[in-house]
Amino acid sequence: MRHRRFLGEFEQLVLLAVGHLGEEGYGVTIRREIEHRTRRSVAIGAVYATLDRLEEKGYVTSWEGEAAPYRGGRSKRHFRLRAAGVQALAASRRMLDAMWEGLELPSGARRA
Amino acid sequence: MSHGVHGPRGRPPLLAEWLLRAALAAGDRDSVLGDLAEEHAERVTGYGTGAARLWYWRQAIGSAAPLVVRRLEKLATGRRSRSRSRSKSGSSPMERLGQDLRFSLRAIQKNPGFAAIVVLTLGLGIGANTVVYSTVDGIVLNPFPFPEPDRLVGVGTAFPKLNQELGFVEILSPAEYLDIRDGSRTLENVVAWDMGNRQLTVGETTENLFSGFWWGDAFPTLGVRPALGRGFLLEEIERGDPVAIISHRVWETRFGGDSSLVGGAVMMNGEPYTLVGIMPSKGLIFGMDLWIPMPVGPEVFPRGRRQFQVLARAAPGTSLEEVQAELDGIAGRVESEFLGEFPEYEGWRLVARTWNDINVSQLRPAALILLGAVGFVLLLVCVNVAGLLLSRSLARQREMAVRSALGAGRLRIVRQLLTESIVLALVGGAFGVGLGYLGIRGVAYVLASLPLSGDVTLNLRVLAVTGAVSLAAGLLFGLVPALNAARSDLQTALRNETLAAAGGFRRLRLQRVFVGIEVALAAVLLVGGGLLINSFVRLQSINPGFAVENVLTMRLTLARERYAAEEVEPFFTEVRRRLSSIPGVAQVASVSQYPPIVFSSRQIWFEGTEMVGEETLPTSYLSIASPEYFGTMRIPMKRGRDFSDADTRDTPFVAVLNETAARRLVPGGDPIGSRFRIGGPDSEIPPFEVVGIVGDTHNRGLEIPPQSEIYVSSLQADGVWNQLFLMVRTTVEPRSVLPAVRREIQSLDPEQPVYAIRTLAETFAGSQFTRRVSTRMLILFGGFALILAAVGIYGVVSLAASQRTREIGVRMALGAQEGQVRSLMVRQVLIPVGLGALAGLAGSIALGRLLSGLLFQVSPGDPLTLATVATVLVGIALAASYVPARRASRLDPVSALRSD
Repeated sequence: MRHRRFLGEFEQLVLLAVGHLGEEGYGVTIRREIEHRTRRSVAIGAVYATLDRLEEKGYVTSWEGEAAPYRGGRSKRHFRLRAAGVQALAASRRMLDAMWEGLELPSGARRA
Repeated sequence: MSHGVHGPRGRPPLLAEWLLRAALAAGDRDSVLGDLAEEHAERVTGYGTGAARLWYWRQAIGSAAPLVVRRLEKLATGRRSRSRSRSKSGSSPMERLGQDLRFSLRAIQKNPGFAAIVVLTLGLGIGANTVVYSTVDGIVLNPFPFPEPDRLVGVGTAFPKLNQELGFVEILSPAEYLDIRDGSRTLENVVAWDMGNRQLTVGETTENLFSGFWWGDAFPTLGVRPALGRGFLLEEIERGDPVAIISHRVWETRFGGDSSLVGGAVMMNGEPYTLVGIMPSKGLIFGMDLWIPMPVGPEVFPRGRRQFQVLARAAPGTSLEEVQAELDGIAGRVESEFLGEFPEYEGWRLVARTWNDINVSQLRPAALILLGAVGFVLLLVCVNVAGLLLSRSLARQREMAVRSALGAGRLRIVRQLLTESIVLALVGGAFGVGLGYLGIRGVAYVLASLPLSGDVTLNLRVLAVTGAVSLAAGLLFGLVPALNAARSDLQTALRNETLAAAGGFRRLRLQRVFVGIEVALAAVLLVGGGLLINSFVRLQSINPGFAVENVLTMRLTLARERYAAEEVEPFFTEVRRRLSSIPGVAQVASVSQYPPIVFSSRQIWFEGTEMVGEETLPTSYLSIASPEYFGTMRIPMKRGRDFSDADTRDTPFVAVLNETAARRLVPGGDPIGSRFRIGGPDSEIPPFEVVGIVGDTHNRGLEIPPQSEIYVSSLQADGVWNQLFLMVRTTVEPRSVLPAVRREIQSLDPEQPVYAIRTLAETFAGSQFTRRVSTRMLILFGGFALILAAVGIYGVVSLAASQRTREIGVRMALGAQEGQVRSLMVRQVLIPVGLGALAGLAGSIALGRLLSGLLFQVSPGDPLTLATVATVLVGIALAASYVPARRASRLDPVSALRSD
């Protein structure tokens, strides 16, 4: 899957959220992490579709967690970064940094 | 972490969960639904139920698309890894589908306004269809929860000799029931019942319940089981044991749903009974809340005493025609055997109808009209969406051309556009189902207050139909623009001289055809709505002949075992006396029937009429009324006098005619003082003398001209009727006197139930319920159609304007005025609008005949309605095209010329 090297924007957000959460990452916390940090509302389905794709690429790994009554008796799925995911994030960041390097934009774009 | 309030209110919305479940792969279901449930529960405590529900819905809707796309994507890559040997540059069909889907979503995101309009239009159309179809299905097509409804049959009778039309209520005697039960092989589980009122006491609670006295076990006939306990045993029915079954609703609302009551002792009219069962929660028969067994042999009720109903199951594999043939045979045998003793058997008929038919056939015409109308709406929605997609495909011609130039095959482009429209159709469909769900809850709420059987729910059949419709719609709308795009000429498109070039006009023509069709469909709906409004207004302007407001009505049935015939009228006289002294009560009367539902008629013979034969005797409605009835109802006394207390059983019998009866029945000379007999010259009932004439009332409903009605005095009626209505005219809000009325009646006889309590205005409005609903719905649909047509027209004109920008620039540079440009733009839709309106009006005249049952004094081709609709349509068309036309005419010629 060579042509799938680069991470999409949302893929980056999801991977970063998983990275932030360490061992605590599952649907609820990941979704909330992105929402809190980006102030964008995020659909849980989009998070799962992306996590699924990332897992297929070997960037994250997941395991079944415990079921709980406050979840209507349904089990959790936990996610954690894998080495390939860390590398992919680093590559994306390098790429973006390289593009930003030396660029001064008029007001408004500074925090982009 | 708050450990969720998982009470019923704290639960995630079921429908949203269900939608999401459909979108999820099996492996993801637990984790995603669990995450949502967890966060939902937190939000319930943090922000409240409403906010949590809204959040859940937004999550569900937002999640569906990415999840479905991901599933398809996985399907595609799965395939590919299995068949890696396929060509390197090409991709597998599934992968292409995944790509198409992602492109579609991207395209939709790029132009959310357009997608919103398509989804909204589709959603409203599909939602309206879902609501109407579910309602019609629940109320008219399948109103009862009984299995195999086609086999559940009621038996009715018609007695031409008694001038009695086909009826299914209070129409058979016990002897006739036995004739049917024992003489029929095609009918099984034949049961009969009588109806009345009983007082049931459970513990401290006493309730007056509308009751059925069953001869036979109704449960196998209905095909249902008791919710609790059991039905009647054969021997209990034969012996008439003191056992009772109550309805689920009474058990739950009055007796607290206490299951320990079953098998326990209750009191009925003061006698000990055993409560053996609870009816299932749905499907009451005539709203009877209490069943008791009561075999009434022919030795108790003579053959001529017909107050029973008969219900049965057609044997498996027998058609209604076979049942009918057998019933014809039975009726013939009874006729030949008993004609001597019972002359009414001459030509009588026994008629089998399905229970559905008996109960809802009067609603069917209106229901079918609504189905037709809402179908039209869906058609209109399809045309509208097709038009929108076509416009959009034109606007995106360059994008397609670029793709094509970059090597995308035509087939690929067609498929891409098709995928897009199917995605839109599915999202619109889902939205429609959601709307339909809400709409159905609204309908169910309204219906709960009406005396209709049935239960309106979003059922699987409706979902299947709706799903199929939205998918078909997607394919259909996708096809035209897609093929159109595939045909487009690459070079022209890239230069984007689209519509200035010849090909452009050809394509706009298709859109103008769409506009024409939309206008035609809208015209049909508007004319239908207009005709119904017209009928409704005409009906409202009719004087019913009595004053509808401020009358409270109720029914009292004096039990035969407690009141002898001669005690009936004294009881009612005393009730009238006591009630009229209640503050706020102006006048009180009792009567056997009142408009607009006068039903009982007899043959009448006026002295001096030539008798050719009994069958030629005219009939008239015959009502038993107390003194002051006319005053209470505000029916004007035209001549002569009202009944008075001086008319008693010892004075000559007197009668009052309405004007129609005076005109039609009296053979000549002054009606006052003329004499008649009920039934014929040889009647056993003494002759009556006419002492007064009153104004006509619309005694059979507003639509029907007043019918002959003869009133006889209740003071002379000897209590032949033990069921009378009390009419209480008030000076205050009628229901406010009800507690005092009840108190007075109870002080007279504490065990006497009062029922069928309504205001005259409610009864009157109820008689027009079907008409009101169909009128409102058609107006609603017509308005929706008008909006859709306006959207279509607006779309075409703005598209034309944007694509003729350069042409407009040239014209303006050459000196064209703003007004000229505007009229140029408006003109191009006027022809399709005009043609569409004409076609629609012509079509509505043709379809108007279907409406004729609901029309009143208005013909389907009513010129005023047609002219109004035509004016409205043209006005809307002008308004819808004026806005974009004005924009076009305000262009700066220089920049217009520069635009490509």
